Amino acid sequence: MIFRNRKIQTLSIPGLLVFFVFLLSSTIKIQAQTIDLLLKGGHVIDPKNKIDSKMDVAISDGKILQVALDIPAKNAKKVINVDGMYVTPGLIDMHVHAFYGTDQGSYIANGWDALPPDGFTFRAGVTTVVDAGSAGWRNFRDFKKQTIDRSQVRVLAFLNISGTGMYGRYEEQDVNEMNPVMVSYMINRLFPEILVGVKSAHYWGGDFTSVDKAVEAGNLANVPVMVDLGEHHPPLSIEDLFLKHLRPGDIWTHTYANAPQDREVPVDENGKVKPFIFEAQKRGIIFDVGHGGGAFFFNQAVPAIQQGFIVDVISSDLHTGSMNSGMKDMTNLLSKFMAMGLSVQDVILRATWNPAKVIKRPDLGNLSPGTVADVSVFSLRKGDFGFLDVRGNKLEGNQKLESELTIRGGKIVWNLNGLGSPDWNAKR
Amino acid sequence: MNINCLFPVNHALNILLNIRAVCFVVFFHCIFSSDLQAQEIDILLKGGHVIDPKNNIDAIMDVAVANGKILKVAPNISESNARQVVNASGLYVTPGLIDIHTHVFVGSKDGFADGFSSLSPDDFTFRAGITTVVDAGTSGWRNFPVFKKNVIDRSQTRVLAFLNIAGSGMTGFPSEEDINDMDSHMTSLVIKQYPDIIVGVKIGHYRGSEWTPFDRALEAGKIADVPLLVECHLPLLPLEDILGRMRPGDIYTHSFCTAADRTCILDEQGKIRPCVLEARKKGVLFDVGHGGAMFHFSVALPALKQRLLPDSFGSDLHRFSMNSGMKSMLDIMSKYLNMGMSIEDIIFRATWNPATFVKRPDLGNLSEGSDADIAVLNVRKGNFGFIDTGGNRMEGDRKLEAELTIRGGKVVWDLNGIAARKQFIK
Repeated sequence: MIFRNRKIQTLSIPGLLVFFVFLLSSTIKIQAQTIDLLLKGGHVIDPKNKIDSKMDVAISDGKILQVALDIPAKNAKKVINVDGMYVTPGLIDMHVHAFYGTDQGSYIANGWDALPPDGFTFRAGVTTVVDAGSAGWRNFRDFKKQTIDRSQVRVLAFLNISGTGMYGRYEEQDVNEMNPVMVSYMINRLFPEILVGVKSAHYWGGDFTSVDKAVEAGNLANVPVMVDLGEHHPPLSIEDLFLKHLRPGDIWTHTYANAPQDREVPVDENGKVKPFIFEAQKRGIIFDVGHGGGAFFFNQAVPAIQQGFIVDVISSDLHTGSMNSGMKDMTNLLSKFMAMGLSVQDVILRATWNPAKVIKRPDLGNLSPGTVADVSVFSLRKGDFGFLDVRGNKLEGNQKLESELTIRGGKIVWNLNGLGSPDWNAKR
Repeated sequence: MNINCLFPVNHALNILLNIRAVCFVVFFHCIFSSDLQAQEIDILLKGGHVIDPKNNIDAIMDVAVANGKILKVAPNISESNARQVVNASGLYVTPGLIDIHTHVFVGSKDGFADGFSSLSPDDFTFRAGITTVVDAGTSGWRNFPVFKKNVIDRSQTRVLAFLNIAGSGMTGFPSEEDINDMDSHMTSLVIKQYPDIIVGVKIGHYRGSEWTPFDRALEAGKIADVPLLVECHLPLLPLEDILGRMRPGDIYTHSFCTAADRTCILDEQGKIRPCVLEARKKGVLFDVGHGGAMFHFSVALPALKQRLLPDSFGSDLHRFSMNSGMKSMLDIMSKYLNMGMSIEDIIFRATWNPATFVKRPDLGNLSEGSDADIAVLNVRKGNFGFIDTGGNRMEGDRKLEAELTIRGGKVVWDLNGIAARKQFIK
């Protein structure tokens, strides 16, 4: 809208002249378009555009200019050779807790258990994080001011159905604080560019109140709902949740957690995936990892994957309690899924285009020309590696992704080995 | 040792006085002596190459950890009494690393003190083998209690601190220019109030030409008997005079850079300036303090060739350095490894050396009885690149990686699950 207004203003006579000159220069540009950064010779994986081959990626003015074979280097200000590496859209971590703060009474909202996101993202190829309901409608503005507006990484968020978000476990039980109307106002009218959904979490009331209120808000705002089902005694039926309470497009997180006494799990005691899980996936329920410090078990994930029940989105549940555990960061997590049998293409899909679609942000998670140049470059290390789940069980693997280069909005924000940097002694 | 010696003497007296005590002592003695034969080890690191500069150990040894302390460092410690055995062969086992230059007074305000430009230590330390950080004067005497409550008391990493001579620490311009808020008496009082945490004074940012701030910092250091860290964003104070005023044991940081706000330690011909050599002879220490703008190969390499080695590898970790050429202190150590320093020399300057100059001889070593803060490091081979803060690259073929970090006897980082108890077979 703003841009359109500007164009109208420039349609005065001098404006027309400017426009003419612009037209001329732009035709010259088409032949000799200036490229700010050209990534040469990498293996591009861009699931949205069905690209999975050796290609060059040209970046100009912070946007993707072109993805093609053999783009000439002569029009590029800077060329980086990424031969032997994977080039992908910047990763989207759809489940983090980034509402860091110093409120001593708080758990995650403005609290110590959340993390400032820039330290954990770029070094793992992540350019967008989605906060999973750390804030509610009452304290979202603080989150925005304190973290979102100050971060280099793009921070989007699910708004908690609880007014104060994840301030405290007890506050999260207050059903009177679950206000679908306020939540939908916040999402639709105030911050539609940041808020992508509603979160229901940590509720232990023994019924679906929190989920249903979140879905009500989701309907009002036309956004998906992400559910951490909490703990209920006896546990609630997840078959009911998937088939009766949630809508297609809604998200179940902590998929491979394993505490059946508190929350029903998809894989039964005999290691079989429950049949309704496949039905739920067919219905359009989205399954998210949300690894965290306590929600990922090999004895759920491995049989699930072997039987064809694979999550739609791989996410970290980054917070203080997960950062130094078996989770570590997104590259470690994606590599863990590769150790369980997924291909590089499988894991990249689940950390780029899949989450972009789930949160209805088709402008993200792809390398289409014209989109913001959020790009990740990975090398694939070979060797003997180990991966841990939350109970300290180890799975061996022989490859591991390493984040070489991360580009956010056309700017290099992480460069592990100084790719493309001049030699320190060059002038001597 | 003292406790063990006194213990039997005390109880020998009790034996004469009380038969019940005799029974107790005999009973206790049974347990104790069986413990000696079958001392329980919580974690046994087997077969690693131990580098413990304080104790002059540089050999394949086992390290036994019990009750959060180092129990023993010796060849071939029996596995039979160990609850957990970790195979560390092919890896280096060192004291937990000490990063003496960080900014970790993280909070929600703008800037460094209680601010968003500082970082939470645990986010960056354990994954780099670091178990102790020293905050470089992000707080001053007025807001140190807030720093302690918000960060130090809540961190798993051991956080020590230099106290800024500016009363509220790094609050930015212009409040850091306020000479009236640089109180050597109050600063020394707060240092003495927290002797277990505060290890020194810092003078950092001052744009004026007066020596008062510097002298007050020095004065606070004298009263409290602690070293002074000179961060040297002091554009109008000449290097020669700064180094001249520093005492033996005081620390100069951001040593190897060409930043515009100071005189470089090298002259125009690339020679170390005489005043730097003199200061070095006097006992002034030189820290890296890499940061986002304070380390250049064009200074560090010639300095190293002229045998000016950094005494410590302070990272100057903060929001604007974390994703730059700096990355972590381990990355700085890898730079020096590829610049030609030996691994033994590097570990010394990342453990025992900084421990001594912050007067904490309980840290940075693996002596029996000390806190079990341990780093297990891997030297990766391959083609690597390292960048300085000018964006210039140096190639290298080795890179340090933290495989396992133990803090107070607890595994706090395990990169590849070498300390995993169970293997999951698909």
